[in-house]
Amino acid sequence: MSRIVLALRSFWSILFQGQLPADIAQHFGYVKPAKEKPAPPPPPAFQPADGAVQVLGILQRDARLVDFLLEDISAYTDDQVGAAVRTMQEQARACLQRYVQLSPVIDGVEGAFVKLDLAAVESVKFVGNVPSGAPPKGGILRHRGWRVEKVELPQISPRQDRTLLAPAEIEVE
Amino acid sequence: MSKRYVIGIDLGTTNCGVAYVEPSQAADALHLPPVELQPVVQLVNPGEVAAQNLLPSALYLPDELDFPQGSIQLPWEQQPDFVVGVLAQRRGVERTNRLVTSAKSWLCHSGVDRTAPILPLNAPDGARKVSPVEASSRYLEHIRKSWDYTHPDAPFLEQQVLVTVPASFDAVARELTLRAAEQAGYPAVTLLEEPQAAFYAWLERHPGWRECVHVGDLILVVDIGGGTTDFTLIAVCEEGGELSLERVAVGEHILLGGDNMDLALARFVEQQLAAKNTKLDAVQFHALWQQCRLAKEKLLAHSNQASEHPITLLGRGTGLVGGAIRTKLAREDLERIVLDGFFPKVSSDEMPAKQRRLALQEVGLPYASDAAITRHLARFLRQPAASVEPGAIRRTRSGLAAPTHILLNGGVLSAQPVRSRLLEVVNCWLDQEGMPAAQILAGEDLLHAVARGAAYYGMARRGQGIRIRGGVPRTYYVGIETAMPAVPGMPAPIKALTVVPFGMEEGSSHQLAGREFGLIVGEPAEFRFFCSSTRKNDPVGSLLEEWDPEELEELAPMDVTLSADGVTGDTVRVTLESTVTETGLLQLWCVAKDGRRWKLEFNVRERVA
Repeated sequence: MSRIVLALRSFWSILFQGQLPADIAQHFGYVKPAKEKPAPPPPPAFQPADGAVQVLGILQRDARLVDFLLEDISAYTDDQVGAAVRTMQEQARACLQRYVQLSPVIDGVEGAFVKLDLAAVESVKFVGNVPSGAPPKGGILRHRGWRVEKVELPQISPRQDRTLLAPAEIEVE
Repeated sequence: MSKRYVIGIDLGTTNCGVAYVEPSQAADALHLPPVELQPVVQLVNPGEVAAQNLLPSALYLPDELDFPQGSIQLPWEQQPDFVVGVLAQRRGVERTNRLVTSAKSWLCHSGVDRTAPILPLNAPDGARKVSPVEASSRYLEHIRKSWDYTHPDAPFLEQQVLVTVPASFDAVARELTLRAAEQAGYPAVTLLEEPQAAFYAWLERHPGWRECVHVGDLILVVDIGGGTTDFTLIAVCEEGGELSLERVAVGEHILLGGDNMDLALARFVEQQLAAKNTKLDAVQFHALWQQCRLAKEKLLAHSNQASEHPITLLGRGTGLVGGAIRTKLAREDLERIVLDGFFPKVSSDEMPAKQRRLALQEVGLPYASDAAITRHLARFLRQPAASVEPGAIRRTRSGLAAPTHILLNGGVLSAQPVRSRLLEVVNCWLDQEGMPAAQILAGEDLLHAVARGAAYYGMARRGQGIRIRGGVPRTYYVGIETAMPAVPGMPAPIKALTVVPFGMEEGSSHQLAGREFGLIVGEPAEFRFFCSSTRKNDPVGSLLEEWDPEELEELAPMDVTLSADGVTGDTVRVTLESTVTETGLLQLWCVAKDGRRWKLEFNVRERVA
């Protein structure tokens, strides 16, 4: 800025507003430039493992799946295991259907012959006496397969402890 | 321009529901637009918001230990200090003394101050409490905000809103419901009785209903909700060659519902377990309660022939299989407890066991002391008739009202054995007196009928669709102390002046010109207030000298303070005027000769039973 402009601006500003313009005050070192506030650290980036922990956490919360998988059930009778699984499976299924919408890859009868849709060859695993070269025209459907249509998981809050699968429970008597 | 809807809200004891109609969708006057259910957006888990068809009537008052920070935020609220709905119910099981439920049952409990923070009853010292009115208003407020979130183009405040109440709600409970709606920021709402709403919902689903019923028919509506049972009789009449419907009787308030049945089953199974030395904690007992409900539904389902249903309570710790408690619910026990306990085959002159009135009653809800719904029904059908009863209500020789059709409402009644038992009992009564059997009005929506019916009624009020006429379902009295020399230790004898006759219609008013009261300006004057659902023939202005204590129930007193321009201490001679507003609200006014008017207000604070 030219000296004349600086002088004039300072003159008018002091005359009418009683203070130096902020940029000029800073230019001559009367005011320290305001420190820029450090931006809050960005929340830790979302890792693929976080999603897995979340799904396990939900299945544990609603159906106690992790408890069941990690329990040594060798000492219990089939009756005992069966009774627990009946309850657990119902809850786990309801939970799964709530958050994940699944559909079969091939909507056919297992054990029956199906023709192969060439467009869908990527989503089929061939087993048995598979000829080399071009994919076979069809075969016996052994497993329909599953495809995820939609996943609707709740948002993970950035503040959440992502290693916490299930909180400990303390009961106050 | 913003959209216009009619919104019906079922403010239930255990669940709330919302339905709406868009009147502009009507193709023509004969075909009403469809009634849609409105899912309610709510927290279902910490940090997870979802829309569900029902909003559990549960209010949880959290503290900082309850939920991780930010995990109870709603799309419309960053930091709510309470939780309503599914999450409230879930967390409330683990920490019961912060959970408010059954607020609606408290609304009609005259033994407590319903505007004082008393809930949860067992809250620890220093913990937050709310009043029954506030709890109800929190549910309503949540519904309003959820609506505004889902319909940004149609602000809730600009819609026509209807809220349902049990038919057995008296004038005080109705007014408190309106107060809750007002606190929740609602526009002027119209109240509708639940059994009527259930019937409107049936009408909505059956546009050809005129072929199903005939003049002279009598429809009994049995509404068994989660916590209350409500009866209503609707007569089919004729007016100007057209069929018309008139609500002719409503039952008394019965705190007895589906939850009680599941609870009875759970208590039974708990006792069986206790005999084997297995003790349950509160969370396990709640799981048992839920499992008993599922077991009941499965065993009572149409195709099920199994003789028992397994019940498994998973271990509390990480040992899931090892800590599991296994037991079962036998069909035999289920039928004994639910069918014979709640729907016993009784004769039509068996009345419910009287409530024990203890001098020192524990503060709590006045649950029905007789669990037999059929006995309560017998008592209801034996209600004496009103002399002005329209269409000469069908009665048997012994005076029992004889319905031709029965409409059922409430989830409990989806079980075929329960429906059959209820029908069997009623038809047995009718058959004994030579009356033809009643039929069930089929094709109802047991879970959402009340909200749907309320939305339909909103349309009917606009002149689209038929309206059930009814008026006030009770007679109301004010107490007048007789001028007699005071006897120490004896209250002055009291007479009851009829101020609102049975069936008084909406939008009408009565002057009680014959009786003047001298009220002192500046001093509160209190009127004792009574009601009766069984005395139906007392004309307005008539004075009861004596009555059966069973007939009249005392409600909260009404009071008024004349804050006139007159000098304090002056006496003003006033007469009473009773009014029923277009929206069904009952009001009493003091009217001076010069036309000045003062409204009497319910005083729910002072009377404690």
